[in-house]
Amino acid sequence: MSDDIHDRQIEAVALHRDREAFACLFAHFAPRLKAWLMRTGATAQAAEDFAQDAMLAVWRKADLFDSRRAGASAWIFAIARNRRLDMIRREKRQPPAPELDPCAPESDQPDVLLAASQDATRVRQALQHLTPDQAVALRLAFFLDQSHSEIADRLGLPLGTVKSRIRNAMIRLRQILETPGQETRP
Amino acid sequence: MNARHIPSDDRLLAYTAGTLSAPEAVVVATHLALRPESARVVRSLTEVAGEVLDGLEPIALSDDALEAALARVETDGGEVAPPPLNDMPELPEPLRRYALGPWRWLGPGVRMRDVHAPRDGECRVILLKIDPGKSTPRHTHGGVELTCVLSGAYATDSERFEPGDLEEAGPETLHQPRVVSDEACLCVAALDGQIILPGVAGWLMKPFVRM
Repeated sequence: MSDDIHDRQIEAVALHRDREAFACLFAHFAPRLKAWLMRTGATAQAAEDFAQDAMLAVWRKADLFDSRRAGASAWIFAIARNRRLDMIRREKRQPPAPELDPCAPESDQPDVLLAASQDATRVRQALQHLTPDQAVALRLAFFLDQSHSEIADRLGLPLGTVKSRIRNAMIRLRQILETPGQETRP
Repeated sequence: MNARHIPSDDRLLAYTAGTLSAPEAVVVATHLALRPESARVVRSLTEVAGEVLDGLEPIALSDDALEAALARVETDGGEVAPPPLNDMPELPEPLRRYALGPWRWLGPGVRMRDVHAPRDGECRVILLKIDPGKSTPRHTHGGVELTCVLSGAYATDSERFEPGDLEEAGPETLHQPRVVSDEACLCVAALDGQIILPGVAGWLMKPFVRM
């Protein structure tokens, strides 16, 4: 899993301000952040500026990263999402949105931390067990509006079909989270 | 505690994706701070989002993008200081850094104050404080409204809402729940529409108060 390498790179940035590690993170994530923003409708230039800005936030916040609570990709997604929400608010001259931090310390109990890291692994495995239709619908839900009507347009499907695919994908994810942890490989 | 009083999967998904309206996101964030089991679902969905990001076809940046980023790192002044905390230490963390408007009287035993969180059109965030035995003010439902109980409890004919419980009210709902706890009930709500002040006082006040 490439996430482990990226976990170490974020930790290197946090500990030593390691520019080489940052360059590796940048090479992997900046082009994906650009792709993500362009999918939400931004121009190439705006998406590039955004990717740079989000990666700068990764540099600044690296010491808040805790690989026991979130994988590198999830953490970087959350940072980028928060930057994007802030950007939208700033354009509307509004106060910043609440920070939605997947590393927020809900609890420092070891069993909670263990559950969190197991969840992360299991979620990644669970995605591979969704039907292709469910996976496509769920993925699109991260780019398009919450009514799912854009997803229906994009896939050329009735809205009800899209909604039921997303619902079923969520049910599957929940089932996997509710399964006892020992079945999971570390 | 009632297991049903949690956000729908669609709402948790939209929250994670960042597509939920800002006032609703504030109420959901408050719920997550009070309910670890919902926070766990959001954490898992964030892992899904990370996988989605990882799986995207990369789009190359300009050649000097990394250099430009490293140059900004050199001169970077660090994070801007977070805004100060407000005057209600009893609020969950997601609500602590928003400025709060003055308490306003809405009727006997019913007060509200604005939370200066981002609005979305007519939709905004408010705190409501209602004394024991009193009812929440009637309001029109212009759109979906979310309420999260912070302390105390209220009940409708069939359901009871306690701290951390989230209520999603649709446009068809016109209920007037009553506070059933011994202490006042404090709630945060994303309100899309106008509050109708209760009783004669409301009728008298209406020309003067824009809620």
